Amino acid sequence: MMDMDNVRVVPIEGAVLLRMLGYIRPHARTLMLALILLILATGANVLGPILIKVFIDRYLVPRQFLYTPLVELAATYLGLQVATAVFNLIQLVLFQKVALQIIQQLRIDVFAKVQRLGLSFFDRTPSGMLVSRITNDTESIKDMYVSVLSTFVQNIVLLIGIYVSMFFLNFQLALFCVVIAPIIIGIMALYRHFSSPIFHLARHRLSLLNAKLSEALQGMYIIQAMRQEPRMQAEFGEINQAYRSARMRNITFNSLLLRPLVDALYLVALILVLGFFGLQSLVQRVDLGVLYAFVSYLDQFFEPVNQMMFRLNSFQQAMVSSHRVFQLLDEDDLAPVQEGENHSHIAHGEICFENVSFSYDGKTDVLKNISFYVKQGQMVALVGHTGSGKSSTANLLMRFYAVNHGRITIDGIDLRQFANAELRKKIGLVLQDPFVFVGDIYSNIQLGNTEITENEIVAAAQFVQADTYISKLAHGYHESLGERGSTLSSGQRQLLAFARTMARNPKILVLDEATASVDAETEEAIQKALMRMRQGRTTIAIAHRLSTIQDANIILVLHHGEVIERGTHQELLAKEGLYYKMCLFQQSGRV
Amino acid sequence: MRVFLDLLWYFRRKKWRYIAAVSTLVLVALLNLIPPQIVGLVMDALQRKDLTVGHLVQWVGLILFVALSTYLLRYLWRWLLFGAALELSTILRTQLFAHFTKMSPQFYQTKRVGDLMAHATNDISAVEQTAMDGILTLVDSLTTGAVVVVTMISTISPTLTFVALLPMPIMAYATSRYGKMLHYRFDKAQAAFSDLNDRVQENISGMKVIKAFGQEEVEIENFISLSNDVVAKNYSVAKIDSLFDPTIQIIVGFSYFLSIVVGGYDVAHRQLSIGSLTTFSMYLGQLIWPMLAFGWLFNIVERGHASYDRIRTLLDMQEDISDREAALAVSLHGDISVHIAEFSYQPNLPARLQELSFTVKQGQTLGIVGRTGSGKTTLLRLFLREFDVAKGDIRIGEYSIYDVQKSSLRQAIAYVPQDHFLFSATVAQNIAFANTQATQAQIADAARIAAIHEDILRFAMGYETVVGERGVTLSGGQKQRISIARALLLDAEILILDDSLSAVDAKTEVHILDELRDRRRGQTTLISAHRLSAVEHADLIIVLDEGRIAESGTHGDLMRFDGLYADMYRSQQLEDLVEQGGVRA
Repeated sequence: MMDMDNVRVVPIEGAVLLRMLGYIRPHARTLMLALILLILATGANVLGPILIKVFIDRYLVPRQFLYTPLVELAATYLGLQVATAVFNLIQLVLFQKVALQIIQQLRIDVFAKVQRLGLSFFDRTPSGMLVSRITNDTESIKDMYVSVLSTFVQNIVLLIGIYVSMFFLNFQLALFCVVIAPIIIGIMALYRHFSSPIFHLARHRLSLLNAKLSEALQGMYIIQAMRQEPRMQAEFGEINQAYRSARMRNITFNSLLLRPLVDALYLVALILVLGFFGLQSLVQRVDLGVLYAFVSYLDQFFEPVNQMMFRLNSFQQAMVSSHRVFQLLDEDDLAPVQEGENHSHIAHGEICFENVSFSYDGKTDVLKNISFYVKQGQMVALVGHTGSGKSSTANLLMRFYAVNHGRITIDGIDLRQFANAELRKKIGLVLQDPFVFVGDIYSNIQLGNTEITENEIVAAAQFVQADTYISKLAHGYHESLGERGSTLSSGQRQLLAFARTMARNPKILVLDEATASVDAETEEAIQKALMRMRQGRTTIAIAHRLSTIQDANIILVLHHGEVIERGTHQELLAKEGLYYKMCLFQQSGRV
Repeated sequence: MRVFLDLLWYFRRKKWRYIAAVSTLVLVALLNLIPPQIVGLVMDALQRKDLTVGHLVQWVGLILFVALSTYLLRYLWRWLLFGAALELSTILRTQLFAHFTKMSPQFYQTKRVGDLMAHATNDISAVEQTAMDGILTLVDSLTTGAVVVVTMISTISPTLTFVALLPMPIMAYATSRYGKMLHYRFDKAQAAFSDLNDRVQENISGMKVIKAFGQEEVEIENFISLSNDVVAKNYSVAKIDSLFDPTIQIIVGFSYFLSIVVGGYDVAHRQLSIGSLTTFSMYLGQLIWPMLAFGWLFNIVERGHASYDRIRTLLDMQEDISDREAALAVSLHGDISVHIAEFSYQPNLPARLQELSFTVKQGQTLGIVGRTGSGKTTLLRLFLREFDVAKGDIRIGEYSIYDVQKSSLRQAIAYVPQDHFLFSATVAQNIAFANTQATQAQIADAARIAAIHEDILRFAMGYETVVGERGVTLSGGQKQRISIARALLLDAEILILDDSLSAVDAKTEVHILDELRDRRRGQTTLISAHRLSAVEHADLIIVLDEGRIAESGTHGDLMRFDGLYADMYRSQQLEDLVEQGGVRA
């Protein structure tokens, strides 16, 4: 079976751990409070057996029953129980709260970081992976904080408390009991050594199992058409069995090293205590109460150990996740930002490309030496087949990517000197695929920009004549749109995207014309809207339908990233070059 | 508790294993009774001051024996019980997978892959938990609980037992109630988390729009408010979660208190020794876990029940396309004749194909053309019986495809679907998907016909290159050609290419078509295509329009007819010209 057992256990790295712990700093006060409460609760808790010891040795064995001291003793005991419970409750809640807040901060940091990354990063990173970093990985780091803060800190404090009480009761015996600690640490080390690889093996095989299943479900029609059902069942069965055997080995190790062993260890400790008291009794008097207290401490001692061992594996998983999250936090493929401190403004919208070359991967140029100039209020149209470089040109103007060679200026100022906010405000991009967010029409036009008033939104919708269909919706502007706007037609989505752009009243329009076919009526509405939108704005139009750009001031015909023809519609037709042929083709295509 | 009845078939099958596991659990419970008794004996002897080294060694030795034997027995029951539960989930998973392989595309159209995955993972693990922790807590609570209580009553004191146990039912009630609240709040927290997940998903998908409108900051604000919600919901889970330990501690503490007060009274009246009192409180300690677990049991069982129901519902679904009774196992060959009066995907949906009637002679090539949505793919899928025609028939040679076994039919057909799906395996394994016995020479030969051999050799690992999510990313055209090679390796009587040349360039298309004509003499080929060059040389071309045959004939016939086909042909020629930058290649 191919790479089934290829698992690497990531060691617990000091640097990662340290960085994780750095997130704790802002919560130091709360944690301090929680820790104090924890120590108080533990103190109250371990005092219980001592009180019973006092009762046994001072009153029960000598048979001296004095009413007042006994009631006091009982009241103290009950009081301590209540105090333990209350302190514990508060500190547990506090620790968990801190853990949640830490994770929230980490999550926000990752998300904010992702927002600042350049589009080139998104081009090469699968979106599923990014989502998983922001949500699932941080979730598994949460487990680590919960286990560190709740399980480890709690239980270690409790163990220390028990040891302190033991030393208080009988120094010599307590010294013997200290022997248990290295044994436990030894078992933990043993467990980590043997069990971690198996635990990760089981997880790895589970992910193989899931991958196999999901692939089979997606490709079932091929499997059936090619009659490979028996083989697929056999292959799935093999992984299924492999998973089972890994889990079985995991269970075997857990059974050998966890609870059963710790429980046996408890009995050994009991032997130690009984033997000590028994032998001591031969030479001197012993206090029965002390024996009672030791026995009840031993009862409490081993549960924390069990819990800590149980948590070791999730701790390890969290390390893997933190590693990945930090990698993303350290990613340096950021979106281009303003260079220099100029507060330049786009006043006119005059665009100039000067010998611009660009490559996505640094190897093949998708744009070669592009130059053109558009005056304020004019329109330039980019035409060419798929992959000719039209969208890349628009992407560069939007400053989604940095230009490799040459430069782009707006109003004579280099694009790099504008703040991104200024560019976003003054350049309106209308995308081919109008992305609709979950929410209503209103929020989809506003897009969270609270400076845009309700009136402006309606005005924008009216301007592009989206208002016609919006007013027909049951809830008008507050009609909620399903995932990706599935309740709207593609033409309606397009008009919505227009309104979104117009609500911001940009100086420059970048139109990535939709190729999706819409019905004739909507098509007409879209063309009318585009016409109105272009009035008084510098426009860069990426056109698929040549009929829509005939009145452009200049048409650039791109082919493999180069401008091979330029001129007005009439000039280009007269040339009888590529543009001419494209026009012919499109006319014939509309039969 | 009904889920235990539902799973009875499995418990019966593993009868001896379960009996052994339960007996071992009981044995452990019995052995565990010994150490507290010894502690009591030692204390009493200490009090009487008559402890001898001999006794001490005996007693301590007995504890050592208990320690060793319970260690082994505890290991044993875990192995028995957990092993059985693992086997149950393995069996269920196998059944579910086998069932999935029987379901038709109809089923996959109505179910989402994510949901099916959830059944095969979450639901099965919930059932596994029922068979694992559910059985354990049920048996352990009952046996340990009963054994310990009976011992307390019989060897120490009924009154003391009664008094000390008074608070215990409160604990079982509290854990069960907290469990329910926790579950409820946990579901809400999960829902909030899933909202967050959706939001992030949307954010990443819409990144370009977000950047274009400079909405990054707003997105971050939105994310913060959603993640605040996640924290709030998780915090409410944490609050309940934090209640568990203190509640248990206070109830247990109270229970100890009662036992010391009442027991102390008995000791004072010489009805009880201090040793017995200690034994008693150790027994009390042994009861905490069963009581606690009993509260949890209800939650585990409830979840297991719901999950098992969902799995059963899925397994009980009938396969909707199955072999007729007395379906024949034959080797199909001969002329193909199609007569379809009407076909729709579901009875209440509009017809996708109507009045379709044509014959393809054995060894001929049929071309199917038409606009998107005209019914090309639908027609081809009928040949494979992905869907069945109610009104009409398709015959291959002397048999109707409905009278033979599905397996016979599919053996006769090699199918290249429109969306080229490859598996995450090596290129060679993908090509040999339907014929795992194929030699490297055969694989390379199929790859050569499909014009992908050269490409494959250029990959770093050649034919051993892994494709798919974990491997190299292939272009659409490369994927298409690999799936053509995959079908060719079958050397089937009938080859179906469903728009399978759309992503290869014109030159490669010509190469593949020439090779096919050459290699598949005497065998029938059905090609549907957007680009007409792919069907130009077919013996018969049918032009579909809204599910009907608009025109049919050879390329020459159709061009002379000067209808839809001729229009499409001319427009595509121009399109090619434009793609090539205006110059004829």
